[in-house]
Amino acid sequence: MDDLSNLFCQPTRRDLMRWGVACGAAGALCHINIEGAVAQDVAGGLELAGPRLKGVVRHPAMFWEKLDENRVKCVLCPRECQVADVERGYCGVRENQGGEYQTLVYGALCSANVDPIEKKPLFHYQPGTTAFSIATAGCNIECKFCQNWQISQFRPEQVESVPIDPDRLIAACKARQSPTIAYTYSEPVIFYEYMHDTAALAREHGIGSVMISNGYIQEEPLRRLCRHLTGVKIDFKAFTEKFYAESCAGELKPVLKVLDVVKDIGIWLELVVLIVPTLNDSPDEIRRMGEWVIEHLGPDVPMHFTRFHPTYRITNMPRTPVSTLERCRRIALDAGVHYVYAGNVPMHPGENTYCHNCQHELIRRLGFRVRFNRITDGKCPNCGTNIPGVWSQEQALAFKPRT
Amino acid sequence: MPRQNSRRQFLAQVGAVGAGTMLPTSRLVAAFGEATRPKSRVVVARDEALAHGRLNEHRDLLSKLLDAAMQRLTNAPDAAAAWRRVFDPGDRVGIKVNTLGLSTQPAVVDAIVNGLKQAGVPDEKIIIWDRFDVELARAGYKLNKSSQGVQCRGTDAEQVGSGYERQIESSGRIGSCFSRIATHQIDVLISVPVLKDHNLAGASLGMKNFYGAIHNPNKYHDHNCDPYIVDVVSHRYIRDKWRLTVCDGTRAQYNAGPGRHPGFAWSIGGLVVGTDYVAADAVAADLLDAQRKVKGLKALADDGRPAKHISTAAARGLGEADLGKIDRIEV
Repeated sequence: MDDLSNLFCQPTRRDLMRWGVACGAAGALCHINIEGAVAQDVAGGLELAGPRLKGVVRHPAMFWEKLDENRVKCVLCPRECQVADVERGYCGVRENQGGEYQTLVYGALCSANVDPIEKKPLFHYQPGTTAFSIATAGCNIECKFCQNWQISQFRPEQVESVPIDPDRLIAACKARQSPTIAYTYSEPVIFYEYMHDTAALAREHGIGSVMISNGYIQEEPLRRLCRHLTGVKIDFKAFTEKFYAESCAGELKPVLKVLDVVKDIGIWLELVVLIVPTLNDSPDEIRRMGEWVIEHLGPDVPMHFTRFHPTYRITNMPRTPVSTLERCRRIALDAGVHYVYAGNVPMHPGENTYCHNCQHELIRRLGFRVRFNRITDGKCPNCGTNIPGVWSQEQALAFKPRT
Repeated sequence: MPRQNSRRQFLAQVGAVGAGTMLPTSRLVAAFGEATRPKSRVVVARDEALAHGRLNEHRDLLSKLLDAAMQRLTNAPDAAAAWRRVFDPGDRVGIKVNTLGLSTQPAVVDAIVNGLKQAGVPDEKIIIWDRFDVELARAGYKLNKSSQGVQCRGTDAEQVGSGYERQIESSGRIGSCFSRIATHQIDVLISVPVLKDHNLAGASLGMKNFYGAIHNPNKYHDHNCDPYIVDVVSHRYIRDKWRLTVCDGTRAQYNAGPGRHPGFAWSIGGLVVGTDYVAADAVAADLLDAQRKVKGLKALADDGRPAKHISTAAARGLGEADLGKIDRIEV
């Protein structure tokens, strides 16, 4: 089984063994060869092949308005691109054809891996389980430090993709016994329609859905989507407009609004801040970020400060010093955030979970592996404090938006 | 690059501009000597017959018109000499057409190929190209990926994604992978855009045409595509190779571009030809604005979409944008 069938049919015993080993070693990011020779899942040791897409798929897009002269206005994300006939939006995956807006990536998967949920990272969402993780090409911002730029910063024609409809994806997820589908790697907002339909179907099959996103989405599509999701992770890139503008081609303000909306919806949320040396690591910025989190989201939203590695358009910076991550973590803890992690630093104690009340070690991690998990019925076994998070599939699927 | 105005970037940009200043006309200077150097000359070559009927029926006329334009552009005694002053027999020439929406007419490209032949460029060293095979075919081009004859193919002609360089190239604010046709398969570029309106850039002309040479043009449409268009053409892969612009005005569009919109179709019955690509775009944009005025539409600048990239290119020393300083010749 060397191709697509690896993921999208019943696994053999050999497959399961390979997968198990690979999951344990799944430190690498998903790699896509833009030469197109191989669309390979390094993390899962599995490979996408088979009937590759020729050209693009076309599917009606959601959340857009008609303008004059066959133009359209996309209202999916804060950019609100006004797109002329035959042109595409900033994301590169949504196209105006004769005054009708279309998505070009509905089910066009360029990556599919079975990852530990810790890799997303979601540390308070069913620790030790797996997430069937998928992506298409494209993104609605451009982070100059993007770890997955070979898929996020390309258009669908330029990336090897395989057509997988939601039914097939659900079947594959079940075959791999993953309780969760993660929409991740590139930016799931840009494949919104597919994520929306798949997440809705997944719930009917007892499978949860988590969105791993930059939070660049408008309120209405977010609220509609969260009816079907069971968890969200938002990349909180920085706490300055300058960083968002210069390093991400985006804006901070819409992301802050999204975080407020997510809080209002009540879905499980974790935040990740990739710390890039000298650009978003000032103690004052981290302090203000931590204070904003406390004020707007409360102390129970976990924050992950993760390590930057030189890549894409920032190759002249060193990796983030571990001491910087430790400092960020300390500042956020001092601000009152209960669960703050250091990420991309395997074996660092900052990767473990400690009860915010008694400091008892609850979960010990080694990279993306969980060495032990002492949380019992969602509580600290030492002091009985409730530990915020989603600790079972039953709890995940019971979620319904508050508003 | 994390900061737009770092010292390193600034120096790189200054260096690029310095090197690029003379390039559009440097070859002509070498050919004629300084005394006869065409100073930002742009030729608008027209024949009323080209505005009507099927363009295929006017292929000879198009060739003669383009030859005449090249003669006036170069002050050459005959057409062959004119083409030889711009191209060498050993050149590998890439003809970058525009097949998104209203497309470059194949008959215009045929006229260019005829000219290149007069310069002694063999068919096998000519590539007609754009982004996609499918768009070229839709625009009426006959794809040819063999080693015989003039080649015609899209950057996507190879395996998925392999038509672009793997490394990101930075130029000003852009970071892009360039088409391998532009980077490795040709030495000389001819930009053959369509004289057409663009809803964001104002006009889609010779410079904007090279958005089709990068993998991620969708990222660079903010702020009227400025300065991104200039960043693209300032890169050595384009700047060092670009010798001629032939803007197709046989089937033009003065509003609602770049998609085809028959309600705004128009024709100047000819071509805009120049070796100073900033000047060629400036003249073409002026024609576009003049037609908009005739039709009672606002000028591009007043419509909130000035073709800012033209003046930006001039400010960087890439060519002349001041219409008063351009030697505009009608043929």
